[in-house]
Amino acid sequence: MGLHEKILDSQVYRRWNRKRATGPLAQFYDIAPVAPERRISDIEFVALDLETTGLNPKRDEIISVGWVLIRNRGVDFSSAQHFLVRPTKDVTESSAVIHGILDSHLADAPDIETVLRQLLPVLAGRVLLAHHAPIELGFLGRACKKLYGASLQLPTVDTLVLALRDIHRQGIPFKSGALKLQNLRKLHNLPPYRAHNALTDAIATAELFLAQINKRDAKGELELDRVLR
Amino acid sequence: MSLELKDIRDFLAAHHPFDLLPDADLDQIPARLTARYFRKGSVILQPDITCLHLHIVRTGAVETQSPDGHLLARLSEGECFGVRAMFRGGKAANRITAIEDTLVYQLPESDFHELARKHPQFAYFFELMGGARLRGGMQMAEDRDEDQLKLMSLQVSDLIARDVVSLPQSATLREVGQHMSKERVSCLLLTDDSGKIAGIITDRDLRNRVVALGMDYATPAADIMTRDPISITPDAYAFDALLTMTRHNIRHLPVVAAGGDTPVGVITTTNLLMRQSLSAVYMAGQISKMDTADDMAGVIAQIPELLRQLIDAGATSQNAGHIVTTLADTVTSRLLELAEKKFGPPPVPYVWLAGGSQGRQEQTAISDQDNCLILDDSYDAGRHGDYFRDLANFVCDGLNTAGYVYCPGEMMAKTDKWRQPAATWHQYFTNWIQTPEPKALMLCSVWFDLRPIYGKASLYEQLHRQVVPMASGNRIFLAFMVGNAQSHQVPLGFFRNFVMIRGGEHDRTLDMKHSGVVPIVDIARIHALGNGIAAVNTSSRLQAAIHTSSISAQGARDLMDAYEFISITRLKHQVAQIRSGDRPDNFLRPESLSAFERSHLKDAFNVIKTLQTALESSFGKSGT
Repeated sequence: MGLHEKILDSQVYRRWNRKRATGPLAQFYDIAPVAPERRISDIEFVALDLETTGLNPKRDEIISVGWVLIRNRGVDFSSAQHFLVRPTKDVTESSAVIHGILDSHLADAPDIETVLRQLLPVLAGRVLLAHHAPIELGFLGRACKKLYGASLQLPTVDTLVLALRDIHRQGIPFKSGALKLQNLRKLHNLPPYRAHNALTDAIATAELFLAQINKRDAKGELELDRVLR
Repeated sequence: MSLELKDIRDFLAAHHPFDLLPDADLDQIPARLTARYFRKGSVILQPDITCLHLHIVRTGAVETQSPDGHLLARLSEGECFGVRAMFRGGKAANRITAIEDTLVYQLPESDFHELARKHPQFAYFFELMGGARLRGGMQMAEDRDEDQLKLMSLQVSDLIARDVVSLPQSATLREVGQHMSKERVSCLLLTDDSGKIAGIITDRDLRNRVVALGMDYATPAADIMTRDPISITPDAYAFDALLTMTRHNIRHLPVVAAGGDTPVGVITTTNLLMRQSLSAVYMAGQISKMDTADDMAGVIAQIPELLRQLIDAGATSQNAGHIVTTLADTVTSRLLELAEKKFGPPPVPYVWLAGGSQGRQEQTAISDQDNCLILDDSYDAGRHGDYFRDLANFVCDGLNTAGYVYCPGEMMAKTDKWRQPAATWHQYFTNWIQTPEPKALMLCSVWFDLRPIYGKASLYEQLHRQVVPMASGNRIFLAFMVGNAQSHQVPLGFFRNFVMIRGGEHDRTLDMKHSGVVPIVDIARIHALGNGIAAVNTSSRLQAAIHTSSISAQGARDLMDAYEFISITRLKHQVAQIRSGDRPDNFLRPESLSAFERSHLKDAFNVIKTLQTALESSFGKSGT
């Protein structure tokens, strides 16, 4: 973990954010974060995926959000949620091709604030899980800053980072594309999903995480800080 | 349902029994599930783990083992487990281990019960998996399937409910009546001085032969009992017992210890039999009463449906082959009875034999006829020729009409060459063994798998006793058989990829018969011939070969497993065709299998390849 991430994950940064947060984000910070020494099997994760109009949080916007909870080392589909998000600018043609989401789909969708009001209570007291988490943290943090005056900070596990550690540990060179969600899933004998949207990818990430922690420790005694990014 | 869970819904919809649910209910299931992941080798359920979920394998594979370590089942994609635990307060009955990295969906018990209550077809599926209490008192037509399953897997010894009730044959009729009344039985066995079975008396005998005729109750039982009754041994299948009873129209069947005539019990027909309206037992019973091959064709046409039921009920290919073949045997026997009625009693003794898959008791939904006649050596072509020609034509034509089409190679009793006295057959076998040539080797695959069906079996047994040592002692013959067996190549390429049929009607398929079943049958035959093993059934041959030096015990067991897997995959393929209204065939598309099944199939083919090659070191090899 680089110095930048260390600062972002630090207690100091959290206090700083908490002091400035308003609205639902203030309530989010009222609930204590999950302690890193707790066992993975005792805590709940929010596997989350965003679809955006591009990769730059400063310029691009969130157009869909999907999440699902992991409890007792199981992906609980009853908690699955999926929202399209109405952006302020038009969706460019190239990102529409990737996501299959066009302006017409988004016209009736809620705005990001409506979605954050649902999401922030879900994240409170849980651990965020994402595949390449800087994107999710970057976009959600940016939106929080704009709406509620402070960034979003919470314990985060990144399945891409875990996969990288596996690869480094085994000391094998890896091919391009090896860290893609689909390819990692294949490696763990997980099924391919045909649909590509924020919720399917959130579920796909959650299942990959189950495989990754089972590989590290089948009994469920692993502590959170062993997998934090 | 959130539309985004569609992938999961589609997965369920593609698997039995979820495919039976209406869309509205199916849509609700994904959001009720939890996904869990198990690494290869980890235990998912075992008797001390509480399980209050139905488990559905999403990817990977699991193995079920009984508490004493016996392998009960291997389950792959789309299959369910944990059913019995839900009916035992969450206590798992068996140990379930992931044998590959496995993703499992769990459905909560309460949702499972609600689906089962709303949809009997869904509930029924799980009954066979041990959820017998699912349906409560609800009676459904499909009861038959379950009964059939019991009949197939049970042995006669399992059916004997109580110790044998018997008296010495010197007992008086009064004593017999009193004893039966006291023991509350409907029949009683009578024994001779050495304790062996001498006869049987039933309720009906007491009514018809004693009371109705006003017989003195002091008469010894020996005077009215049925002497030397038809009996069965404890190791026979329950199915065979019921078949024997329907064929001979008897309600009580004494069970005697194998190898002696000591009675160990009696089994009786129960209402169980009456409920088997589509079952094989009932079908066989019908056939034995029919007078024309046309009528029999109506029953034989139901074999695909019977096969579907058997496979759905979890029959092994060995079970299914045995049952389906029994129907061919019944048709053959009945046609011979009718022939003897039409042409008169045979002028000299004969025995009718089935060869090929009927001989080996391995028939499937599609079978032609292979048969022959061995006549007593007192046969005189001039005087008796016409009789046996007419008899053979009658039976072969009848079989053809009933649905067992003529053998394309004319290996049938209606061909003059295959309707000969024992001495001529002896000469045939001598020639085939001493001068093996391609044609002879082809014939061997039919005529070394003979089984007597009707008539004087000793005619065949004598011949067989002479042929077996002749074959096992002739290294050259065996080496030629090996060369012939190796000519059936398994469809595996150098990189363990499937080599499929290219072009034509069966493009991109595997021929499960000629490149799967036949090679194993050939290997088993060589080990049987080489070791003087008399059995003709492939599994029995391999079982017997375990104790020989020509194949390792592990090799024989692997081959038995491979045989069962290939056969059952072929049968399931045929059942799928039957279900969709197509004609069953042997051509399987590998993509119709799950990844797990495909990999298993490759393993099975690999076993064949290995053991085909190993034949050479045991028996040598000669080309033709």
